Amino acid sequence: MVTKPIKGEQRSFMTGNEVIAWAALAAGCEFMYGYPITPQNEIMHYWTRLAPKYERGFLQTEDEISAGFTTIGGVLAGKRVFTATAGPGNVLMQEAMAMAEMMRLPTVVVVTQRGGPSTATVIYSQQELNLTSFGGNGEGLRIVYSPASHDDLFSYTIKAFNSAWKYRFPTFVLGDGYQSKMRAPVTLYDPEERGLTMEPCYPMVGLPGLPGEEREPAHLRNTYNLEEELFAILSDSIKDYESMTPEVVEWEATAIDDAELLIIAHGIVSRAARAAVQVLREEGLKAGLFRPITLRPFPVAELRRLTGQARRLIVVESAYGQLEKMVKTALYGLKIPLRSYLRPGMGITPEEIVQFAKEL
Amino acid sequence: MGVSLKIALAGEGGQGVQSVAEIISEAAYTAGYQALYIPNFGVEQRGGVSLAFVQISREQIGAPKFMLADVVVALSHRAVDRSRQYVGPETLLIYDESLRDEVRSLYGTEQKQLAIPALVVAQQEMHPRVFNVIILGVLMQVADLLERSHVERALERRLGHKFAQDPSLRELNYRALERGYQMGKGGVAV
Repeated sequence: MVTKPIKGEQRSFMTGNEVIAWAALAAGCEFMYGYPITPQNEIMHYWTRLAPKYERGFLQTEDEISAGFTTIGGVLAGKRVFTATAGPGNVLMQEAMAMAEMMRLPTVVVVTQRGGPSTATVIYSQQELNLTSFGGNGEGLRIVYSPASHDDLFSYTIKAFNSAWKYRFPTFVLGDGYQSKMRAPVTLYDPEERGLTMEPCYPMVGLPGLPGEEREPAHLRNTYNLEEELFAILSDSIKDYESMTPEVVEWEATAIDDAELLIIAHGIVSRAARAAVQVLREEGLKAGLFRPITLRPFPVAELRRLTGQARRLIVVESAYGQLEKMVKTALYGLKIPLRSYLRPGMGITPEEIVQFAKEL
Repeated sequence: MGVSLKIALAGEGGQGVQSVAEIISEAAYTAGYQALYIPNFGVEQRGGVSLAFVQISREQIGAPKFMLADVVVALSHRAVDRSRQYVGPETLLIYDESLRDEVRSLYGTEQKQLAIPALVVAQQEMHPRVFNVIILGVLMQVADLLERSHVERALERRLGHKFAQDPSLRELNYRALERGYQMGKGGVAV
């Protein structure tokens, strides 16, 4: 095992991109593959600066298609590896991620959402939720975490490696350009000192022994001849995904017990929503917040339960209905009016949410 | 001055707006405040208006951006216009003296404002590159939130490597900072 980069708990003031690089180091990640794109560039910059000191590696590939497939290569070799991308890069990476989904490979990708579609802005959005959750030609059998702070970026980047290797589904940390570029306080720690055991990684190809005689052949397939074959494999994966769901789903509820107005927001927008809830409460409106932390799998049961006594729902997101669609799917059959504050590619302040809620 | 401060800085790319924001937020963090700084930028590598948002508070900071700032600093013609949306009735507008006409035509004389001769002082008495450090001094004097020692420590952390190469730069920067503090003294308390 390579040298430990963090000892004890370290308070620090840094950008989110730097936090992610430190998190990958602390998680014992051995290799990063990547191709530059704003706003995630500094993840690579910090990683390449830090990696040699801790005997970790880096490969800059020719594009994101290659970054995705080399990440798969690292995983097949049994290494704890990751890549990071955004926007158009995330689009290109979907080919490799669909393959990872088919072959059940524990890839880890950090996405720092920027404005879309296409090149759009390098700044910020929440428009890569659909793409990151369902981007492949498949069923979206992925784990997607949505962090909302630097402490989240650190913890969920570490957790992404563990969830990926434990359940063997492609795992994503869905950040955004604001979180990447923001400077804010964070506490860095060594996961083992906090009692977290890193899931072991193991090679899937090039195993010792004669295939077929001394061991089962390593036959990882992304191609099938028969409908029945594919259907059987996918049915198994779907079953695994569904049985994993209760263990993996995470959410956060604020002031929800007597909430009549329930605001639903994820990621950085949930911070504005939380501030808005406080203001609305001070003004006598019983508001609460539900923040899904896992977007895939979505905390369906929890949202349905906690929506119980709410009379109105508001979805707030920096996209045009991507989270709203997930919420509506989760709440199918319930008869609670839902209105959404949708600002594709735009940051959202608490003041806007308060105003929107009061105008309803 | 309350315990929370929202600052929006706007200038031309290369004027050093982001460095000022970084130093302020770092100084606030080391002084024990909650601090959050976020830059705003376009696809271009150079040129364009560079915006920075800084929040300092005793309490946990929520959203990284805000509607209205307590202090807006505008350092170029375009920046006056671009930063307009963050100026509310209570906002103090700090700008370089050379932009007086621009500011007057946009805001009239009602807005709380402070014009400072930073550009001319930097060019004639110091060096154009310390323009932003003068601004830093003005802001810190006006905000009256952080001790000078915290600001200086953050300045050292940001520029220490350059000072090490050329010690005369340290003297120049401290002189610019001091000059900024003095300019700020004539200003309106936030």
